Order: sequence, then C-alpha cells, then structure tokens
Amino acid sequence: MIYWGGNPAECHPRHFTKYSLTQKGKFTPNGRKDRTMVLVDIRETPSGKAADVFLQVRPGKDFEVITALRALVKNQTIRPEAIADTGLTLEQLNDLVKMMKEARFGVIFFGMGLSMTRGKHMNSAAILMLAAEMNAFTKFVAMPMRGHGNVTGADVVLRYTTGYPFGVNLCRGYPRFNPGEFSTVDLLVRGDIDACLVLGADPGATMPQPAIDHLAKVPTIVLDPKVTHTSRLARVHITTAVTGVSAGGTAYRMDEIPLPLRPALKSPYPTDEDVVRRIKEAVKRRPAWLPMLKETVIV
Amino acid sequence: MTLTIVKNATCTFCGCVCDDIELHADGVRITETKRACSLGESWFKNHTAERLYPDALIDGHPATVDDAIEAAADYLLDAHMPLVYGLSNVTCEAQREAVHLTELIGGVVDSHTSL
Repeated sequence: MIYWGGNPAECHPRHFTKYSLTQKGKFTPNGRKDRTMVLVDIRETPSGKAADVFLQVRPGKDFEVITALRALVKNQTIRPEAIADTGLTLEQLNDLVKMMKEARFGVIFFGMGLSMTRGKHMNSAAILMLAAEMNAFTKFVAMPMRGHGNVTGADVVLRYTTGYPFGVNLCRGYPRFNPGEFSTVDLLVRGDIDACLVLGADPGATMPQPAIDHLAKVPTIVLDPKVTHTSRLARVHITTAVTGVSAGGTAYRMDEIPLPLRPALKSPYPTDEDVVRRIKEAVKRRPAWLPMLKETVIV
Repeated sequence: MTLTIVKNATCTFCGCVCDDIELHADGVRITETKRACSLGESWFKNHTAERLYPDALIDGHPATVDDAIEAAADYLLDAHMPLVYGLSNVTCEAQREAVHLTELIGGVVDSHTSL
C-alpha cells in the first residue's frame, strides 16, 4: 500500500481501520501484519506513524519521482544525478520498486498533495500510468483519496449522463469535455461565464481571488444548508436540508460503491434535489433558449 | 422528547462515506454518533433541524423559496454561458437533476474534481 501526498490519519481518520490497513481479508488473514505501508509526502505527517517506510520527496518533485519509478519498474538504468534533486536516493527508489513487484496486490492512494501541486493533472496521469504498468508484474490499482462526501458520485453521475466525469460543456446541446477550458477555475478566472449555480460547495471560501471576484460580478445562485461566503456575494441564496443528516438519497464512497443515506433529522428546509427540480420546472415553463432543446436527450 | 435511533447511518463528511454509524437524535439535534470519527462526529453534531437561516435570500434580503426559484430560473436562462458548479455535498439524485438543468439552460457542469 502506498499513500502518496495524503494524510489519512487526519483527513480520513477511519481509512486505515475500516478500509485499507488493518482490516482482515481472505488473502490477508493477519490484517496489518500482512501488509506493507509506504507513505510518500513532502513532510512527515501523523500518518507516518502507521507507515513501515516513509519517503520524503522535495516539494514539487513528485512527477520526477514517479517517472523514475516507471523507468526502474521496466529495468531501465537511471543516473543517480538525474534524481538528485528529488530528495530521494536511487537505493530508496529501487527498494520501493522491489516492494511493489513483490506485492500480491498493490494499491496507490493518492491525495491532494500530489494532484493539486506543481504538475497537477500530469502528476495524476503519471501515477495512474505507474499503476497500469505495474500490472505487467502483479495486480496493482490506484485510487484518489476523495475529500468531500459525494464528489465521487458527481464523477459517476456526470459519466453516465454525459459520458465525461467533470468540466462538461453542454452549450452546443451535446457534451464536450476539455479540462483547462471548461473547468470551473479557468472559466471564472477568464471571465467566460455569465451566471453561476453553486450547490454543495463553497467556492467563495476555497477558490483563488480572481475567480471569486468574477462570481461576485455575475448573477450567482447558491443552494446551501448555511449562509456561506459564496451566499454573501450571490444574488440568490436558497437554504436547503443537509445531505445525509436531514436529506436522504444516495452517495458514492471513494471506491465507487453507492450507499444509501439514512437521515436522522427532519429539516424545515427543502432538499437540494427538490430545489434543483423546481428550478428546472421553472426553466421549462419559459421559452427554450434553443427551440430544438425542448425535448431533452440526456436524462 | 422522543429519542430516534438510526442504525447503519451514512456519514458524508469525507470520501470514506462510512455506513456503520449509529445516530441518536432527539428530533432537533443529533446527540450521539457511535463509531463516527472526530470529523464525522462534528459533522453530525453541527447540523441541527433548527431554522437558523432565512428560507431564501434575494440580493441579501429574505424572500420566499418560490420567488428565489423564479429569480434563479430567470438568471440561468438569460445567461449565455451559465455554470453549474459544486455537486460534492449533494446526493446523486440532486446531481442528476443538476445535469438535466444544465442541459436545459445550455451551460457547463463541473464538480470539485476539476479543482
């Protein structure tokens, strides 16, 4: 098991005990003792205590390390000076490759420390390639450590409705996918969009300032259980029930297992599902912006 | 106050979506969260069934949900390139509705994944 650029001990506290590290399985009857855990990060986090091996990468050098690993997996020779500025030695990388090849079933859990730092999509692509190439030797998978509750569900739903997982443009009446062009931060920073519906997110608290400035400029509509930072700069805010606490439905776990929600409270507010459906009905009552779109294809 | 006990409740705070949590609720707030981690416990206990916020706000002023829905529909349909963003802390059913809405208004739909 390799955790790369993530800190599950603090961010996903039950990941070790309920899912990955200590659970006993058919081929791992002794649980933790049958597993080897490697933690790769730029600093030693509390997750390091659970790891057998900790590899400290210099910040922003993940791509170089993964590329070197991919070469070593295929028995290519690497000059020590080529990886000198990654913070790791050739010996450490060779040990890791040996461990990976000897594993019966390997997994790489990668977190935001990998996917949100220098290289971004390229880092994720490289780690997925590494996992794919490892399958020439043993069973190997890679899985992103998803942050928010049902962000995996968003990927799944967008995939089965439009064919793409995120950043889907339906302006032409059919789906187009191009991260960097149709991804939110890029659209906002460039000032491409002229209205925004925000649900289940608070971009006013998380996005770069130029993106927030644009959100304040255009009509923004927020659906949220609380009045958030984004609500304060929005034209319209609608309070909704809390998903999983007072609103039922389905949520996907990060390994794409759908789970039913069992709300314990009854909210005085409508659910997000209800509000979006009512906005949809209100839109349908108005003349369509493109006559051919009257009958929809997707859902 | 009657105590409601929900067994095998699902926590949606983080991507782990643990589904073995036992919740004790008194109708207004959740009082006990068995097996939840510290993050899950604060997630469940921080959200109550109280009416703490206005139903809706238009330009910062309290409004009815009906008015807010009509205003939202107008803004979204008037836009040339509206964006539907977030989708992380809502159910799959709501996400599905959001995709359909995006198609109707001819916009872009995106989630936290792209960040």
